[in-house]
Amino acid sequence: MRLWSWNLPVPLLLALRYARSPRREASVRFLSAVTAGGIALGVGALILAVAALSGFQTTLLAEVLARSPRLQVELGRGVDAQAVRRTIEAQPEVESVQTLLVGNGWLVHEGRLEPCEFFGVENEVPRWFPGAAGVEVKGVVLPDTLAFGFGIESDARVRVVSPRPTLTPFSRQIPRSRSFPVQTVFSAGRSEEYESRVILPLDAARGLLWESDLRFDVEVDLGAAPVVADRLRRQLPAGAKVVTYRDLNRALFFALRLEKALMFVGVFLIVLVASQALVSSLALLIASKRRELGMLGTLGLTPRELRRTFLLLGAILAGAGIVVGGGIGCLAAWALDRYQLIALPEQVYIVDFVPFRLQPADLLPIFLATIVLTLAAARTAGGGATRLRPAEAMRR
Amino acid sequence: MSVVSAIEAATPGVTIRARGLHKSYRDGEREVTVLRNVDLELEAGALAAIVGPSGSGKTTLLYLLGALDSPDQGSVEIGGTDLASLDGARLARFRNKMLGFVFQFHQLLPDFTALENVMMPSRIAGRPAREALERAQSLLGEVGLEDRATHYPNQLSGGEQQRVAICRALALEPPLLLADEPTGNLDPATGRRVLDLLIELQTRRGMTAVLVTHNPEVANRCANIWRLEDGVLLP
Repeated sequence: MRLWSWNLPVPLLLALRYARSPRREASVRFLSAVTAGGIALGVGALILAVAALSGFQTTLLAEVLARSPRLQVELGRGVDAQAVRRTIEAQPEVESVQTLLVGNGWLVHEGRLEPCEFFGVENEVPRWFPGAAGVEVKGVVLPDTLAFGFGIESDARVRVVSPRPTLTPFSRQIPRSRSFPVQTVFSAGRSEEYESRVILPLDAARGLLWESDLRFDVEVDLGAAPVVADRLRRQLPAGAKVVTYRDLNRALFFALRLEKALMFVGVFLIVLVASQALVSSLALLIASKRRELGMLGTLGLTPRELRRTFLLLGAILAGAGIVVGGGIGCLAAWALDRYQLIALPEQVYIVDFVPFRLQPADLLPIFLATIVLTLAAARTAGGGATRLRPAEAMRR
Repeated sequence: MSVVSAIEAATPGVTIRARGLHKSYRDGEREVTVLRNVDLELEAGALAAIVGPSGSGKTTLLYLLGALDSPDQGSVEIGGTDLASLDGARLARFRNKMLGFVFQFHQLLPDFTALENVMMPSRIAGRPAREALERAQSLLGEVGLEDRATHYPNQLSGGEQQRVAICRALALEPPLLLADEPTGNLDPATGRRVLDLLIELQTRRGMTAVLVTHNPEVANRCANIWRLEDGVLLP
């Protein structure tokens, strides 16, 4: 009765009463509970699924980005490297610039030979070599997998062989090679590409690899990298190619986005089914209240107000489902992440538990899509009420 | 005449003018004619009864007069407003302001208390909640149901239910009251008391009222009596 002392619109008063009236038929009450429960289940499942996916993706992305250059500028033939470097350093967001020389070759030790990717580094090992970042390069810095394969001791020497030829006094072309002391061994982690990456001092690399493989590694904030890249693309000459961490991992980013979209669509089917149940529930309610709706029409309630009544009733049921499902989903995701309740074998995955991450950008589409779908369902069902003519509804 | 001006001009009673009403229904292959060329005219403030056996078309005629249904032919004017000129929403608004209905089976809304049922027309009309509440309480007090206000219809006796239905019909002081067998579902003693109450309230307010009944005792309480036989209205 308290609601009736407020100046609420009649459709809202009716919807609120129909939503909680104990006088409704048991079948309608049951179907309403199933509807709200179905929406709650769908929203809860969607939140958990998307949160788990976001958790995995965040962890995976952190891992990938830690091993990925933020921004690099590759130099083509005939490009003035010094001019390019000056342009890069003039960008206010740029924190540091380092020259790299990258090329392929072989590592030879005691008669064994392994193909490798060589990185000639100007100063310190870049951030994106997680196991060796910050090491000042004087000799060869090897991944532990290669060192283990060669059986290399800490004071050993290895030979680097490059496919770049050198001309002998007898006019024969032979590959260039040079012996280096092993400076340090770093952990390649789970990444296969780091298992064959070998770091050399830049000056030494220049004598072995082709100068055309020169590039600048630019350290810049993750968020600023695309903006700086766009600006550099406009400012640098045509022979300079600017790539960001996004370009380097384009396939991965696309796969992650696609995975999340497909997961969303798959789990959203639960909400879709629940919204169909909402149509049935409201249609059953309208059928069971035919005479009363006719009486409301007789008392002067307009067809539009009748439709609004059932739209609001649908919104109340959907709202209850969203609040309950959203609450349970968020709480469950938080608890599963906080207490690391779902364990994973650490040898197989990059984390030893299933991480859950709740992000407003993920939750908003879930809530919006559920609201839109359920309101559309309620509107469809409410259309039945507007077609009721008072005289027909009142006749027995 | 607009709905609003009709309402303003209709205090306290309202004239009814129906001309050439014809209504038929399709029952499968068969067409059943319910009303044939019915003419009816009633002055403001009059109390009239339409009598006839079951199935003679009394309720259909009442529905046409109450803007709940539309005739196949003919016209109905209430307080000078031709009902055919009103569309769905305006017709609903017209029923709300101009008409009060009492049915044989009270037709109270089972999910709402007696007080809320009586408040309903005022709230639909957009009257403030406080005003609707005071009006409903006053009406229920007038028919001796102030202590039953918070009861649901299924917690009331047949006579109480019908008295609540009368209060609801009078909630907005409509100029026209239409009653379909208002005592038909009550025992004779309760029926007499409800009828006394209905006529007393109608007389006190000066509203026009049309009662549909097959009970001669009820009809004899009315100044104007028409007989409906095979869809034809006879004086």
